[in-house]
Amino acid sequence: MPFGPIIRAMRHNRMRFAFIILEIAITLAIVTNAVNMILDERKKMLQTSGFDDDNLVSIAYQPFAPEFKEQPYVEALVQKDMRAIHSIPGVKAVATTYFLPWQGGGSSGVWKSDGFNGKFQAQLYAARGEIFQTLGVKVTQGRAFVETDTPAESNTPTRVTIISRALAKKLWGNANPIGRVITNGEGATPRTVIGVIDDFYNPYAWNIGEFVLFTPGRAYDSGGAVFLVRTEPGAMKSVVSQLEPRLLSVNPGRVFRIVKISDLKDQYFSGGKLVIGAMTAIIIILVFITALGIMGISSLAVAERTKQIGTRRALGATRADILKHFLLENWLVTTAGLILGVIGAYGLNVLLVSKLSDVKMQWELVAGGMLLLWLNGLMSTVPAAMRATLVPPSIATRSV
Amino acid sequence: MLLYQLKIALTSLRRNPVITSLLIGGIALGICVSTTFIALRHVFEKDPLPGKSNTLFYVRLDNWDPQRAYVAEDPKSLPTMVTYRDMRELMKSNIPTRQTGTFRTRFFVHPDPKIGRPYAEDVRLVFADFFTMFNVPFQYGGGWDKTADAKPEPVIVIDQNTNQKLFAGANSVGRTVRLEDRNYKVVGVLAPWNPPLRFYDPTQGLGPKVEPIYMPFNFTPILEIQTFGNSDGWKGNDGDGYKAFLNSDTCWLEYWVELPTPEKQQAFRQYVNNYVIDQKKHGRFGRPLHTEVTSMPELTKELGIVPPQIRSLAIVSVLFLIVCSLNLIGLLLGKFIARIPEISVRRALGASRLHVFWQHIVECEVVGIAGGLIGLGISVGLLKMVAKVIPNGDVVHLDAEMIAVSIFLSLVAGLLAGIYPAWRVCSIPPAMQLKVQ
Repeated sequence: MPFGPIIRAMRHNRMRFAFIILEIAITLAIVTNAVNMILDERKKMLQTSGFDDDNLVSIAYQPFAPEFKEQPYVEALVQKDMRAIHSIPGVKAVATTYFLPWQGGGSSGVWKSDGFNGKFQAQLYAARGEIFQTLGVKVTQGRAFVETDTPAESNTPTRVTIISRALAKKLWGNANPIGRVITNGEGATPRTVIGVIDDFYNPYAWNIGEFVLFTPGRAYDSGGAVFLVRTEPGAMKSVVSQLEPRLLSVNPGRVFRIVKISDLKDQYFSGGKLVIGAMTAIIIILVFITALGIMGISSLAVAERTKQIGTRRALGATRADILKHFLLENWLVTTAGLILGVIGAYGLNVLLVSKLSDVKMQWELVAGGMLLLWLNGLMSTVPAAMRATLVPPSIATRSV
Repeated sequence: MLLYQLKIALTSLRRNPVITSLLIGGIALGICVSTTFIALRHVFEKDPLPGKSNTLFYVRLDNWDPQRAYVAEDPKSLPTMVTYRDMRELMKSNIPTRQTGTFRTRFFVHPDPKIGRPYAEDVRLVFADFFTMFNVPFQYGGGWDKTADAKPEPVIVIDQNTNQKLFAGANSVGRTVRLEDRNYKVVGVLAPWNPPLRFYDPTQGLGPKVEPIYMPFNFTPILEIQTFGNSDGWKGNDGDGYKAFLNSDTCWLEYWVELPTPEKQQAFRQYVNNYVIDQKKHGRFGRPLHTEVTSMPELTKELGIVPPQIRSLAIVSVLFLIVCSLNLIGLLLGKFIARIPEISVRRALGASRLHVFWQHIVECEVVGIAGGLIGLGISVGLLKMVAKVIPNGDVVHLDAEMIAVSIFLSLVAGLLAGIYPAWRVCSIPPAMQLKVQ
């Protein structure tokens, strides 16, 4: 197919084609970067905690009655509270812990261990009761906590810990973690690893989301306590409505705060949802708009050249020749736009990330975007090009 | 002349309502998307204290573990807060014109039993300067003075909601509020105050609101108040009890200073460094000397409080508007070229090129403004939707500045779409067209 005449014909309308080229280029840049951002957020959202998130709810109390100042009273009360929560129909398990899944943060420390060079950082949570049944994770190696693991005095440090598989792997590779000892950063308060849980993720700074130490300690004091409750599937609503009345009947001298873990999770991912929603909408509208624009320009190109088309037809060009002319013309424009767009895609990527090291744009993504816009351009030209083929040769003989 | 051109433009736009609505729709689409995300970014990134934020500085010291940086992989990282003992010592300086250490806790408010049950509320511990430094707006009364700081006197400042709850919105200055087991005298009631970021507490990111109650910082050691904000430690306390905690290397306070002049900034940085060098002699600060006295705008940027996605959305949405507007060029070209016979008659009758050009630009700007206003209306709805999705969304709104930006953008979009088609039609020689006719 001769490109020469097509390009020569296009020169008459340089500016118009330049605008379309620019439009396609920016479209490619936006589409690829938008998909990139969507994929990024999707990846974050695919992260699972490993817990039974949908059936978890936390209830915290803060006391104002004077009897809460007495340590023995609080000890007894927390046990009573746990029994009261357990007695609510639909409750599967309950524990006291300051750990709140998907909170994005919590408590952490710096630790040392035999067999690991240097110090490491990990999350640390004290818990009492059926913590792992509550979270819905299994202790796959070693054993779970038993009541005697908790020291009798609240200020005595605990001696054992259960850690996440990811932490065990980081510290000792595939070696058996059971029986290893973890101390604090100063080398004091040793704790022996008695068990490992496979799944754990709680978003945390320093990339320590998967590293955790659970200890069999008290997650309550004179300032209050937090209970984590796991319900039977579907029982969430009825359990939530009964939590506060039940605990108020145990002791009314306190106030409560109930948080569903599914709400925390929604909140944690709200930004991601916004990005995904907005970017998806932008991509769809953009591709649609670009299609409309190409349609407009190509029908203008056809309408303007009706007479020339008739002349070519009269001189022997077939309908297929005319169709080919317009499709090729569009193909040239689209391709020029896409080549410019590849540069734009990488350029915009650099502009969007805060650190240059975050720049990433997979070539598959760019190639996919190019394919999409090629098809888009072709399909948007077809209606006008088809109309061009219908121009009768006799039109060449008319004066207007 | 402009009125005449406006009249022609409107006549021309009315002649082909389908094309006109396509044009307006295109601009409206671009404007609603771009306005929404530019406004979203503006809400969170605009200067919370215009003209003042550059004089407010946040102090950080690297008192972390000698063997390990605060962020292990980044040896230049340092704790985001300071220790109690360091804040106390640094506050002895008279270089800053104002200064405050601050943290957040939770107390029980005991209302009159007739009003309601006790409830837990966020309380911020601050020095008297806090209110002036951060332009805290008052409805009744004001902050307390330095003598109330020193003693400390049992005084508090409460926000409007608390005042509504406890005193039915009356001027409650001079009345008392019971927090835990003590009574405090109300000295000030805040006017409505809902900044998008809790800018004086950079450790919590987006989301948390300003606290409803403020009380003098110096109650901290007396009442042994625990922080409800972050607290980072790397080594245990020497001994038990609250005193040992206050003397420890645990970082849990935000420390702000006001340094209005470069000389003061220089002097204060020197002072902080000298303090750390002196402390090194006493065996603390085992890491290389590293202190930061960072202005509020730089700090917000450095800590990345505003998620980068918000900025990305704003950039992409502006590019989106450009595509929308480029897209209209084809449509306008077609429309204007179809009008060439009419234009050549006008040209032959004496209309200048410039006149024809301007007339078409005016027509495009009418489209731009119409599309812009519709887009602006839609973006109000879109922002409401966005506000529901993000934390602390109720601060998201369009302010006058953003409305102006939006209208400016629609003018630019109209111009961008119209300038080439307008130039094309005005450069057509009149005679040739007449000949064809």
